[in-house]
Amino acid sequence: MAQGRARSTAAAACMLAAAVAAGPGAAAGLPDIPTPYLASTHVAVDEMLRLAEVRAEDLVVDLGSGDGRVVIAAARDWGARGLGIEIDPALVEESRANARRAGVAERVEFRHGDVLTADLRAGTVVTMYLLTPLVERLKPRLLAELRPGTRIVAHDYGFSDWKADRRVTISKTYYLYVVPAQVAGRWQLTATLPGGEGEYELRLEQRYQEIRGGAHLSGGFLPAFEARLSGDRIQFVLVTGQTSHRFEGQVRGAAMEGVVRSGTGPQLVASRWRATRIVSGAEEG
Amino acid sequence: MMGARAVPAVLCALLCAVLAVPLAPSHAQERGFPHDVPFVPTAQLTVDEMLRLAGVTAKDFVIDLGSGDGRIVITAARKFGARGLGVDLDFNLVIQSEESARQAGVADRVQFLQQDLFKTDLSPASVITTYLLPGVMLKLRDRLLALKPGTRVVSHDFDLGDWKPDQTTSVRKNVYLWIVPAQVAGVWRTSIELPAAARKLDLEFTQRYQQVSAHGRLDGAPAMVWEARIAGERLSFVMTDADAGEGESALYFEGRVSGDVIEGEVTRGVGMQRRVAKWRAVRIKR
Repeated sequence: MAQGRARSTAAAACMLAAAVAAGPGAAAGLPDIPTPYLASTHVAVDEMLRLAEVRAEDLVVDLGSGDGRVVIAAARDWGARGLGIEIDPALVEESRANARRAGVAERVEFRHGDVLTADLRAGTVVTMYLLTPLVERLKPRLLAELRPGTRIVAHDYGFSDWKADRRVTISKTYYLYVVPAQVAGRWQLTATLPGGEGEYELRLEQRYQEIRGGAHLSGGFLPAFEARLSGDRIQFVLVTGQTSHRFEGQVRGAAMEGVVRSGTGPQLVASRWRATRIVSGAEEG
Repeated sequence: MMGARAVPAVLCALLCAVLAVPLAPSHAQERGFPHDVPFVPTAQLTVDEMLRLAGVTAKDFVIDLGSGDGRIVITAARKFGARGLGVDLDFNLVIQSEESARQAGVADRVQFLQQDLFKTDLSPASVITTYLLPGVMLKLRDRLLALKPGTRVVSHDFDLGDWKPDQTTSVRKNVYLWIVPAQVAGVWRTSIELPAAARKLDLEFTQRYQQVSAHGRLDGAPAMVWEARIAGERLSFVMTDADAGEGESALYFEGRVSGDVIEGEVTRGVGMQRRVAKWRAVRIKR
């Protein structure tokens, strides 16, 4: 994001119209109007990449990449690779020239295109400085197409109902979202818990990274305490008797597995657990 | 843990509030123990969770206020290798705790005293555990806040009012963790070595519990301070600096507060462009 560029400004115009006239505005009928290009400050570029904890193995995709500063900084200051998507061909050319000057041309790419249709799937970090309507339109695709664990950093305008995993304010506000794995639904959970059974049906509900649920077994229900999801990392606590069982694991599509630690101190027993999906949240409706 | 014993004082307070009638001194007050709370043993699950949340290790000294049958202190010694002290008003529970500690093989690492928790010296503790009624917690609050920065306080069910916990878990019960913050309120003077020149920085902190905010003056000009945080004795905050020729950059400050001195590192910029310098601030006004 180097830029607040908000393309598609039918949606932006709609927001303004709504504010002025308290009417919804016929967004669908408006043509896209280019909005002014607003470059991120040096501090903003730094902070977005710092918040995303960019590493050399990352591919940073900047949506609305303007003069290329975020992508170039990702390569120059963090050793990452970068891809910028920009609707203005002149800015794409300028970005390429800037990348050559910065000596990072071989590690970055700039594509002339629309952020709403561009292929983002290779990104491990996505940065954006876009107006709210565009952010909201991108959201379903970001959630569905990006791999769990991908970090999204938004400058000024975050998602309306998706709670940021982290938020930092240094003059301006930056939001970090970690794309969550999809875990809603029913899972066959196999775990060896001291004093417990081996087979459970784990049922999970999910709203973005917030999850809740529990394990059903013959004769009862164990609520999942402290259930958390961060990217593809899941954790929750089941309790039998006076013993807590802390599950930590990784989600891979229709399977998850990891380690469960029962008890504390010298009585702690660790063993492996595994779950396979029976019914997904989408199928359950 | 424990809990506590007896609640005449609490009942009295309730009744007084309801009836607006002064009551005769309760039994507890006659005995000189005005802070009694009923003894309700904490479930072992919650004992484990309290000690886990506090991150207890063999280096810790755990003081349990209202130690009941001694289970928290004994668990801290047996499962986490810590040393500990339990205080309780009930002499029978103190004796029972000592016996349990012998049976658990930790008698050499724990001690139990029949004592009013308000008269207990809390300064040796690196971890304090409580299960006390809200009124008693609030009376303890200022004493807890005055403990060595970094001391961890854990409670279950009852919190410390407007001193918000640093962490909460809810495995069946709510367990709260507070980390005693260093006191940084006041005006601090520092100078930092920035690329262009050494700069004079004055910082004024305001603080309520672990919530701190600050504003600064960099070479006399007002400068915003962002993301100020304190965790025990560790302080961090961010400023921005527009240095001649370098463009504006963030300055990430981290430091350790020790009385009227803060020492630490300031990082300018991020990634491979970042540069680190030492900084030291001295409090010039409380």
